[in-house]
Amino acid sequence: MKYSILFALLLSISSLFADEIIKPADTTVTQQTYAEMLAQAQAQAAQIQAEKDERLASEAATAAQKEEEVLKKNSSIHLSVVGQGVAPMNTISPAQAYALAKRAAIADAYRAIAEKVKGVRIDGEDTIKNMMVQRSTIRTYVQAMVRNANVVETTFKEGLCEVEMEIVISHSDFARY
Amino acid sequence: MRSRDGNSNFSLRLCSILIFNSLALNASEFLISYKYIVQNSVIYNETLLISRAMTKCEGTPQRELILQNRNGEDLKALVFENSQEFIEYIHELGLHVEHKESTVNLQNFSTTILTLKTTCFKVDFNDNFATIAPLK
Repeated sequence: MKYSILFALLLSISSLFADEIIKPADTTVTQQTYAEMLAQAQAQAAQIQAEKDERLASEAATAAQKEEEVLKKNSSIHLSVVGQGVAPMNTISPAQAYALAKRAAIADAYRAIAEKVKGVRIDGEDTIKNMMVQRSTIRTYVQAMVRNANVVETTFKEGLCEVEMEIVISHSDFARY
Repeated sequence: MRSRDGNSNFSLRLCSILIFNSLALNASEFLISYKYIVQNSVIYNETLLISRAMTKCEGTPQRELILQNRNGEDLKALVFENSQEFIEYIHELGLHVEHKESTVNLQNFSTTILTLKTTCFKVDFNDNFATIAPLK
């Protein structure tokens, strides 16, 4: 009887040890599973992000292709702009005011054509002192030669003259032989 | 005693010089430049310079403008009479545009300069009209 009790005690002790040995094995298995899952999730996230970036890039490229008019060979582009001008204060007659305002509006329209065709050079400069903006400056500059621009419509209302001008730019204007 | 050949040579030279000078003086070629400045959407300055060419210009006449003429061979008077039409014609020929704009602390200031660089124009004065064409 004594031996049987002792045997049962030994068995129980051995089973206890066996549990202790197996338990760590189980935890490693679960740890490995978490790591794999984490890696898989990270991979999936990266893949989704890459797909999203690719889609955005392709969308941007398509949009740019749609928006940007390219001047192809034997083709032309029609540009239309509106220029605004104001008459000086010291004019001697309404007719002179109109003529001078129109001249200023034409210059503005020429500027707009130049900006559309050649682009604008922009310089910006901000001065910050003690976390406060002291001076903010933006300078723009454009230079071009404009030929064959036509006045389409002129309106003069309340001292403001608006001139609509158009220009047709063909490939041959820019082609170099 | 001078030989006959020498005299004829001298007179030939003299005549050719006179003819050449008269042709040069009567040559209807003019140098024209035009410039106007617009500041803050208001015209600030406008300059149209016309002078007779002192040397012969090169090139072929391009797009021409026909104006009614009652002033003989006075191009300045002719242009003054038809200033609007002439300025529009100059615009069509092409102007150089230079635009500068600055915004300081949200206050904007702009200057636009339109220029026709000095160009030689051939002008044919007839009885009732004059034909003006740039040489290029």
